[in-house]
Amino acid sequence: LDAETYRHDAVAAVEGAENATELDEARVRYLGRKSELKQALREVRDRETGMALNAAREAIEEALTKRQAVLERAELDRALTEDIVDVTLPGDELPLGSLHPITQVRRIVEDAFLGLGYEVRDDREVETVEYNFDKLAFAPTHPSRSHRDTFFFDDTHVLRTETSPSQIHALEEREPPIYMVSLGRVYRRDAITATRYPIFHQFEGLAVDRGLTLADLKGTLLHVMRALYGPERRVRFRTHFFPFTEPSIEPDVSCGICGGKGCRTCKWSGWIEMGGAGMVDPRVFENVGVDPEDWTGFAFGCGLERAAQLRHDIPDIRVLWEGDLRALRQF
Amino acid sequence: MRVPVNWLRDYVPLEMPLDDLATRLSISSAEVEGIERRGVPDRDGNLGRFLVGRVVEAVKHPNADRLQLCRVDVGDEEPLQIVCGAWNFGPGATVAVALPGAVLPGGLELERRKVRGELSNGMILAEDEVELGPDHTGIMVLDDSWEPGTPLVDVLPIVDDVLHVEATGNRPDLLSVYGLAREVAAIYDLELAPPPGVEPTLGVLESEPVDVEIEDPVGCPRYIGRLFRDVQIGPSALWLKARLVAAGMRPISNVVDATNYAMLALGNPLHAFDFATLRGGRIVVRRARPGEKLRTLDGVVRDLTPDDLMIADAERSVALAGIMGGEETEIDDSTTEVLLEAANFEPFTIFRSSERLRLRTEGSNRWEKGVDPYLAQQAATLATQLIVELAGARWVGHTDVHGELPERPVIGYRPEQADRLIGVETPADDQHELLGRLGFDVDDGRVVTPTWRARDVTREVDVIEEVARFRLEDVPFTLPERSAMFGSLTRGQQLRRRVEDALVGLGFVETYTPSLLPDEETPWKLEEPISVELTALRTRLLPSLVEAARRNAEVGERGIALFEIARVYLQGDELPDERLHVAGIMEGGFGAVKGVVETLHAALKAELEVERAEDPLLHPGKAAWTPAGVFGELHPGVLEGTWSAFELDLEELFQRSREPVIYEDVITYPAVKQDLAFAVDDDVPAGELVAAAREAAGPELYDIVPFDVYHGEQVGPGRKSIAFRVEFRSPDRTLTDEEAAGLRQKIVDALRERFGAELRA
Repeated sequence: LDAETYRHDAVAAVEGAENATELDEARVRYLGRKSELKQALREVRDRETGMALNAAREAIEEALTKRQAVLERAELDRALTEDIVDVTLPGDELPLGSLHPITQVRRIVEDAFLGLGYEVRDDREVETVEYNFDKLAFAPTHPSRSHRDTFFFDDTHVLRTETSPSQIHALEEREPPIYMVSLGRVYRRDAITATRYPIFHQFEGLAVDRGLTLADLKGTLLHVMRALYGPERRVRFRTHFFPFTEPSIEPDVSCGICGGKGCRTCKWSGWIEMGGAGMVDPRVFENVGVDPEDWTGFAFGCGLERAAQLRHDIPDIRVLWEGDLRALRQF
Repeated sequence: MRVPVNWLRDYVPLEMPLDDLATRLSISSAEVEGIERRGVPDRDGNLGRFLVGRVVEAVKHPNADRLQLCRVDVGDEEPLQIVCGAWNFGPGATVAVALPGAVLPGGLELERRKVRGELSNGMILAEDEVELGPDHTGIMVLDDSWEPGTPLVDVLPIVDDVLHVEATGNRPDLLSVYGLAREVAAIYDLELAPPPGVEPTLGVLESEPVDVEIEDPVGCPRYIGRLFRDVQIGPSALWLKARLVAAGMRPISNVVDATNYAMLALGNPLHAFDFATLRGGRIVVRRARPGEKLRTLDGVVRDLTPDDLMIADAERSVALAGIMGGEETEIDDSTTEVLLEAANFEPFTIFRSSERLRLRTEGSNRWEKGVDPYLAQQAATLATQLIVELAGARWVGHTDVHGELPERPVIGYRPEQADRLIGVETPADDQHELLGRLGFDVDDGRVVTPTWRARDVTREVDVIEEVARFRLEDVPFTLPERSAMFGSLTRGQQLRRRVEDALVGLGFVETYTPSLLPDEETPWKLEEPISVELTALRTRLLPSLVEAARRNAEVGERGIALFEIARVYLQGDELPDERLHVAGIMEGGFGAVKGVVETLHAALKAELEVERAEDPLLHPGKAAWTPAGVFGELHPGVLEGTWSAFELDLEELFQRSREPVIYEDVITYPAVKQDLAFAVDDDVPAGELVAAAREAAGPELYDIVPFDVYHGEQVGPGRKSIAFRVEFRSPDRTLTDEEAAGLRQKIVDALRERFGAELRA
């Protein structure tokens, strides 16, 4: 038997096999027990012939293995092209809930202030008149002290009307410098309407350091407003009055619906009110034993409902309080 | 406050666009919430169709008894024929006419048309038809000096803009048209007219005595009383009514309107008494006597206390000082003698009474904020002028009772301090100039506050605000230069986010519900709730979530799973013990909620310990306690269907969290894993078997988890088989088979001894 010719014919047959049956036929014919090669191997007498025949056998086995892999791969490809799903059908239903829009804006605000190096805190909601009003330098005739505007439990205990008592708590707990933002529920004696709810959320910021200015307040609020509403927003200040800040201002953010040209959302002014702010009144510092000649500070408070409503274009504040899954699942 | 622009123009020249005025006032003074255009529409030449007319002839309409047929000269060659329903005029009267095509304030367009067969070329106007006043009993009769054909807009404010100005609580001076004009003049550097009101000469040679006594000079620092005789009460002049209406007040009568006009113009509330009804002809300003009562102008009988400051006569209270007059001394049509009060009241006294009596008025609103005591004089002057001119009265008496009026505050002022606080430089000269325009006197490092700002501006920082509010648009955007940073969440805040995210991952939708419930067993109940639904602070969250779930089920929602993180308010001592809870409600039975509570603990790396519990909201056989709270299947009486719920205290939960987790080497030495099944009596809880096994085998029992419970013939009645997956391991060596068998034997022995457990496999 000429080993080289045999190998050549065998490899050609293997490589020409078009399917598993043909490949098997080639294997039986060239490597089977009754194949010429096996017979020749049985009859081999000299080392040289044996080596030549074994080399041919190995080459044929290798070709078989390779061809088999090619055919299997082709068979798999063919089978897979027939195994088709409708990819547009829905997948298995897995549970996924959602965070309330107020929680979402709360995190945005927290993260923005963390980025500015502020600590995040919350304080009690039931406050004493001392912390809610007196230490914040509310005049005895300030309308918020009225039982018509504020929820009282008795003459000295109220549901906090803003997050501002956090300023006092923070100032009493540690020496300046202080950079903190406080978030939580506040309460006012308003009837429930599309724009007001007697329970709502605020974030309150306080910075106390050496040499802080109104310009630092403006830059800080710009950063936070852009974190909430996008990088193209602008911020302006309007004068205002709060007992615990002097000067006091109200920050406006440019309207995102009309870009500042004027529309229904911004009542055709191009600006949207965001809350209250100002430089900490020296009286507040005196009330907590901080020297106002040494330290200055700024403070601000804004509503989280308003932020959630603006971000998501929610026209009615009650949507945020009714727990209706048809509304909440959207967020 | 509503500020009619026509009125404002009396005191300051307005040449700027109103939008610009509104913006600059909003930024520097007081927010302008809107500009209301009122009166006759000013477009398409509409104003030109409103003219002064003179009645040439007026006769009864031939076909209608109630109508007049008039011929009215409106400056053209031929007089116009107009049908009119009013009878308060005759030939020669000067009237206001709207021609055909004219559009009235309500939008009605007049047409030339026949009325009962006679052509009517327009309309003779009553004041209400052009929004000048409320009256419709007759047409407006104008001063005869106006020529026919004169545009009506030159004669009457038939078109006006009204600024809606929201003054802040520290600026009672801006609750007046003149005060606002002063601000406009300062902003635009314009000339301000002197305050309105020119003192008429006394109507007698010598002032009659006016008997005023102030018993409470703290509550009432000043009282000007003025006496008028021969007063003719009647409707006010049209121009005055028009201003009151535009400013949002109802005209009543000339004398009352004069007091209201002076209040709106200057900001000092006034009152007028029918002098004839004042017993003893005197005024005493005193506290109410115990048990005293007064029927106020609104018809309500008020129970008074000695905290209330009263205006009294010789015998009884006749007015709630600064808040509301009394009914018995009210001006009416028969009044001929008037006592005018121009006083000053202390804010807190007024606030306290207004608050207790739940009575807020234009007057109390101003007094509470602190009115300049020097203003009473000018207010008295303006009201006197109006009463003399409009009600034909003789002014016969005057008194001004007051103690020492407050000095103007003198403040040491460093202009560079303003730059330091505002963050933008304003040259000292500019600051002084600005302060001067606002009425401050500036000299030599000192600033003297004008009387009308004396309560608000007393310190250097207050003066800085005066400068700052005109520089707000120039303040740059900077960030603080920091020497200390605090930017990280606390462990609790981080874990709270993890709880929120875990629950969202488990399919729960977060909701917010009110902190107040209709009723609750708590001492924390509101004195004056706004509704029964929001009355008491809640002590747990679940009842609110049950209601939210119920509402969702009612509208056909499926797969309901809600959670909330909020505070509950436990009794506490001086203040309630406020604790942050997480609660959830879901469709499904006990296994579902236990899975949620387990996953929540797993997310927090916290061990879950569980015992049977009772809870009024939960199924008595399917309720569980853990150190952080409760969970279980809802009691079927609470909500229809199979629901389950949990409520946990976050602080308790976080205390049990092992975060940050300490790494254990469980790779170097492999574990020995086995399954063990025990038959025990039905009432033995799996948790007790686990606890006993752990106690018996010690720390080398790394984990033991029940994975199957079997009831059936093979274990017999009243018994169950529980299978456990058990893992033995040691941190410092590979356990031998013998060691593992020994541990296993300890468990088997302990469970047999304590629970009669038989090993089944």
